[in-house]
Amino acid sequence: MRRRPPKALVAVSGAVGLLFIAPFAYVVTQNLRLGADFGEILTDGDTWATLRRSFSLAIFVSVSAAVIGTGLAWTVVRTDVPFKKLLAVIAPLPLVFPSFVGATALISGFATGGLLEQIVEPAGISLPELRGFRAAWFVLTLFTYPYVYLPVAARLRHLPRSFEESGRILGRSPAEVFGTIVWPQIRTATSAGALLVFLYTISDFGAVELLRYDTFTRKIYANQLADRGTAMAFSLMLGIIALAVVAAERSLIRRDPPAPVATKGRSMPIALRAWRWPTFAAIVAFFAIAIVGPVASLAHWTIRGVNATRSTGSLALSSHGLFDAITNTVLISSVAAIVTVAVVLPIAYLSSRHTGRFSDVAHGLVVAGFALPGLVTALAIVFWVLRTDALIGLYQTLPLLILAYVVHFGAQASGAARLAVNTIPRPLEDAARMLGAPRTRRFFTIELPIMIPGLIAAGGLVLLSTMKELPATLLLSPTGFDTLATEIWASMDAVSYAQAGLESMALLAVSAVLTWTLVIRVADRLD
Amino acid sequence: MNLSNANGPANRTSGSVSITVTEVSVSYDGPAVLDDVDVTVRAGSHLALLGPSGCGKTTLLRAIAGLEPLTSGEIKLGDEVVSGNGHHRSPERRRVGMVFQDWALFPHMSVAGNVGYGLARAERGSTRVDEVLEMVGLAGLGSRAPHTLSGGQQQRVALARALAPRPTVLLLDEPFSNLDSALRVEVRTEVHRLLTELDVTTVFVTHDQDEAFILGDHVAVMSEGRIRQLGTPTELYARPVDPWVAQFVGEANLIVGIASGRVATTAVGQVPLSTDHMGTVDVLLRPEDLSIESGDGASIELIEYYGHDTTYELALRDGTSVRARMASAPRFTRNDTVDVHFAGETTVAWRVDS
Repeated sequence: MRRRPPKALVAVSGAVGLLFIAPFAYVVTQNLRLGADFGEILTDGDTWATLRRSFSLAIFVSVSAAVIGTGLAWTVVRTDVPFKKLLAVIAPLPLVFPSFVGATALISGFATGGLLEQIVEPAGISLPELRGFRAAWFVLTLFTYPYVYLPVAARLRHLPRSFEESGRILGRSPAEVFGTIVWPQIRTATSAGALLVFLYTISDFGAVELLRYDTFTRKIYANQLADRGTAMAFSLMLGIIALAVVAAERSLIRRDPPAPVATKGRSMPIALRAWRWPTFAAIVAFFAIAIVGPVASLAHWTIRGVNATRSTGSLALSSHGLFDAITNTVLISSVAAIVTVAVVLPIAYLSSRHTGRFSDVAHGLVVAGFALPGLVTALAIVFWVLRTDALIGLYQTLPLLILAYVVHFGAQASGAARLAVNTIPRPLEDAARMLGAPRTRRFFTIELPIMIPGLIAAGGLVLLSTMKELPATLLLSPTGFDTLATEIWASMDAVSYAQAGLESMALLAVSAVLTWTLVIRVADRLD
Repeated sequence: MNLSNANGPANRTSGSVSITVTEVSVSYDGPAVLDDVDVTVRAGSHLALLGPSGCGKTTLLRAIAGLEPLTSGEIKLGDEVVSGNGHHRSPERRRVGMVFQDWALFPHMSVAGNVGYGLARAERGSTRVDEVLEMVGLAGLGSRAPHTLSGGQQQRVALARALAPRPTVLLLDEPFSNLDSALRVEVRTEVHRLLTELDVTTVFVTHDQDEAFILGDHVAVMSEGRIRQLGTPTELYARPVDPWVAQFVGEANLIVGIASGRVATTAVGQVPLSTDHMGTVDVLLRPEDLSIESGDGASIELIEYYGHDTTYELALRDGTSVRARMASAPRFTRNDTVDVHFAGETTVAWRVDS
């Protein structure tokens, strides 16, 4: 028998759902009321060209990230490639690169005096200018493929080994087994990961701005001061596209009955034979481009800056404010992570324990928050706050920034939080109940301790994303509150590559430590 | 009756082959999982690998399937070496059928899709799938999704899938362990009937002595990576090579006796032995070989009535506890005193090393 959800839980979940929808609802109604320039925007050829650019970049990046992420996961998990454990540890690392840091590394590496330029200059080669579609495609693919790699690798690890073995014993080659058995089992993981990449790309602001590729987000940002109406109209269109793609993924991808999760024992890895070392070399080369290259390029500029500061006495590099920025980044991200997990937990609980239309809707609202680009979320919140007298005092305060993070990253936490709720064995709750424990005691003594690892994973995802977030942080940070992301942004704006290098290295170091402790070690909980 | 004759050429297997496992060892990083194992399975016969968990029985099965590389030794299917000497024929080229413990039904395919998976492309559209489904009693369920079937039906789908490509060897990994006990007996009987009708060499893994004895022509009792004893079920039961095997293949009382030639003197009197012994020995007394009657040699501690028989737990006068089984309803009550004596033909004994 399905239990009726407690009233308090329903009320709290409803309130949370409203929190996620209120800013957008407000913006939509405002747009409809004022919406004079919509017709003009829609008939403008430039709008459609921008749309096409945004869309094609997002499609190209998601496809290439899906291919790389899935291929890498399969190779690392299922074949006998050498040092596979080490490769598995390294593979998700590009997750710590925000796209704008990746773009920073690339631009500074190619720039005059940059690492790559210095390497090829003696050979008389002059580097092409690094701008536009191909550069953006390249950078975004390198740093988004882990969104596909992680869920696919987790899925592959959970796949019962007897599946592939059955296929082999029934006479099919490894390639056929991959196509007919493995792929149908992992394709939902691949497509869910690719969807994240799509949303990340279409809402990415940092990389496309730095690489001068004109997308919707650039237009919105450029217009947000000059012409708020146009910015808002563009935001709405972007939001609608994002939501449409999420809806399309949900309805188009066939969801098969899931395979039973049962792994025990080791399965025989697929022998690559003569391809073992070439495969290894290819993966290492890829890591060199995706991880070592950007870090080396940033380090190169940092060292140049240090040397210049020392020799000339003039300040080529300033550590002034760097520690404040690190502290601010860690603090605001941690608070955002904790608040987000606390906010989505009721909905996660409701939607995994009391399935029904209400919980579906509440969960859908949270997910929609992530589908909308961070820039749109931030703009919506700004509009909403500035036009509501009771809230206007919140403008340019940290609570408002945290609210934006919660709304934007709630979906990331909610998926992991649902998994955490599902790890609680139902009989335990019943047992506690039979022993006379009331609701709150059951929650704190039974459910919460069991959920903690999953909730940490959920919070870890939000923490990382928050550290990497740029557009909402730029728009909503109180004056004088600088994070590493905004500092890097300012340094790049001032063409101070050395300073940007130093700050990027700091951001990478902090987020690498956090990624390792909070995400990679618990990656299996994110399947 | 032979199905291949009854149903015409469609069900013909291409002839079963023998399996020869010679000095096979498998080890990963630590101690050997399989340690110098030798076993031969005659073409068309059924071998049970029986042992506690971790004894290596599943590893041996997987090695035959080609899912486990050998550290040393050799495995032949028929006359062909498939594993050994640096050679390893991949599982898809061994023509072996296997039923996995979790059945491993592909959830994204229909029952027919599963059963037809191992067939050659040309044969996938043929009537072979229907034939095999009918053979296992699932005619008409081909379009269903596996998870909509009951456990027993899923088990039969797994069996049908393994049999569809007409394998020369069939491997079953704990095939009934996923079924609840009532269903298990029923499915076991059906599989037993099917296996006796098909001409396919079968090796199956089990930790259940009943299963091993019912389905196996021969049983290999394994522990710690080695085969402790290989024999027919009756040999194993009546002439176990050591006390461990004796206890693993059935209920066993081991009591101390003094042997002199073919007779041992024990707390239950004189017991005839099958081989000569001298001095102190452990004597195997199967509960059903012990008979009790009114007397004063032992007292009844517990009575377990099973319907078809009754087992008495007795305390002998020297304090030894033994179990005796009588094919009748309880004729005594707890705390009655009785006499116990050996009523079987001969039994085995092992020298006590002291």
